[in-house]
Amino acid sequence: MSDGSPPDLRRLTLPLSRDEARSLKLGDTVILDGEVTITAGFPTHQRMAEALDRGEPLPFPKAGSAFFHMGSSCRAEGDRWVTNYVNPTTSTRFDDTMPGIIRRLGLTATGGKGGMGRACVQALRDVGGVYFSMPGGASPLLSIGAVERLETAWDDLIEQFRLSRFRLEGFGPVTVAIDAHGNSMYDALQGQASARMPRILEELEQARQASAARRAKTAGDGR
Amino acid sequence: MAITYDVVRQVARDLYGWSLKKVPDDTLDALAEARRRETNPTSQRTLDFMQAAARAAEREDRHACSDAGFPTYFVKIGTRLTLDGDIRRAFVDGFADLVETIQPPILKFITHPLTLERSYTGKDMPIVSFDVADGADYMDITCSPKALGSGRWADLKVFSYPKLADIEGYVMECVMEAGSQHCPPVVIGVGIGGSFDNAAKLAKMSTLRRIGTRHDDPMVADMEERLLAAVNKTGFGPMGTGGDTTALAVHVDYSHGHGFVPVAVCFNCWINRRTAARIHDGGKVVRLE
Repeated sequence: MSDGSPPDLRRLTLPLSRDEARSLKLGDTVILDGEVTITAGFPTHQRMAEALDRGEPLPFPKAGSAFFHMGSSCRAEGDRWVTNYVNPTTSTRFDDTMPGIIRRLGLTATGGKGGMGRACVQALRDVGGVYFSMPGGASPLLSIGAVERLETAWDDLIEQFRLSRFRLEGFGPVTVAIDAHGNSMYDALQGQASARMPRILEELEQARQASAARRAKTAGDGR
Repeated sequence: MAITYDVVRQVARDLYGWSLKKVPDDTLDALAEARRRETNPTSQRTLDFMQAAARAAEREDRHACSDAGFPTYFVKIGTRLTLDGDIRRAFVDGFADLVETIQPPILKFITHPLTLERSYTGKDMPIVSFDVADGADYMDITCSPKALGSGRWADLKVFSYPKLADIEGYVMECVMEAGSQHCPPVVIGVGIGGSFDNAAKLAKMSTLRRIGTRHDDPMVADMEERLLAAVNKTGFGPMGTGGDTTALAVHVDYSHGHGFVPVAVCFNCWINRRTAARIHDGGKVVRLE
């Protein structure tokens, strides 16, 4: 496990069982082991969606497995691919294709940063899957847990766009930000911010008036 | 003696490379301060992780973020210096040098806007913006690579005779639109007035200002303070999973213009990439950040 995280976090092995996924609550912070497929590619998602539409099998991820939105760079050491770095990318970029991918593959875990739209939340609820939020810009620590790239597919694409299967060991911490029951931390926070906005705008108005009064007083004193 | 193509090429390469592996000191201080204030346990953990990751990037010479973005440079050329060689070309070649030499390697992020094809080079890449510094015998170069995560949420709107409330309301709309997605806690730059392009540049330049500094004009300084308080009341928090700090700073600048008032808003993610160097006439290089 990387430094900067408390040692007592729950550890989960990917792929999650559907029961494990459903047991997770919003805000749970966990460490991950096991296997995951990753890509940061927009064209990759389109290709996945088109293949699934045609009923063709994907090289991976397999049904019921984990699929994260992450970019990666690796180097060869002997016959292994060792990780230079990984890092999450913005998941909402894939909102058009992810509901279909989640449903058709019955993903038990997905993840990235920034959350996903309502249709993805519904799809995760329907299949019993969760979304893990990973810290963006924390690549040096997050990369430690992505120990090895096991294989890639669709190698005509650039490195970060390929489908890449990684072995994780002590990856994280990651936070459950969308659960398997239709709850999204992002929706909740957006709703909370919207509810607060009238009050925030009112306080901005009060602060503007106070600032103007201060300036008028300063100008008066200087006269 | 003149400032040469070779020196500028090397500085362009170095600034981009440094910026990928070092979170600026003012930003680290601001993250530490945010952690001291934070009341949400998940966000406390996130801020701890961010600070540890920033320390690891510098200590271990690794990229803070896997998305190296694309390089943008802001160059101020003193009017009392002489230049020797193709200075615009020096930035292009310095960027190419970095791609060749940096370890670990960076990924292909330069994207053709029409075909979406990716590469290490491209038209107008890197983005270099030139200005002059009256009376100076040096050249200042600031590098601020821009990645997709926070770059995507910038916005610009043109108003006619807006009230302050209109401008500040629009900033808050942009904050709501970005929500949890721009890798908060962010630095927010707001540019007001002048022409369309000028407002965008003011906003961008404002994100480069050191955290903890205030605008010279008290009216604008007050605006920065109240907007920062307002943004942090939204509660999106670090990495957008809730908490007290959504922005580390709001920096505002303005230009006089005409009756129409463009307002631009842009964001820098929490690693707030920024490096700067000064090249003195004769070629001596001093790193500023």
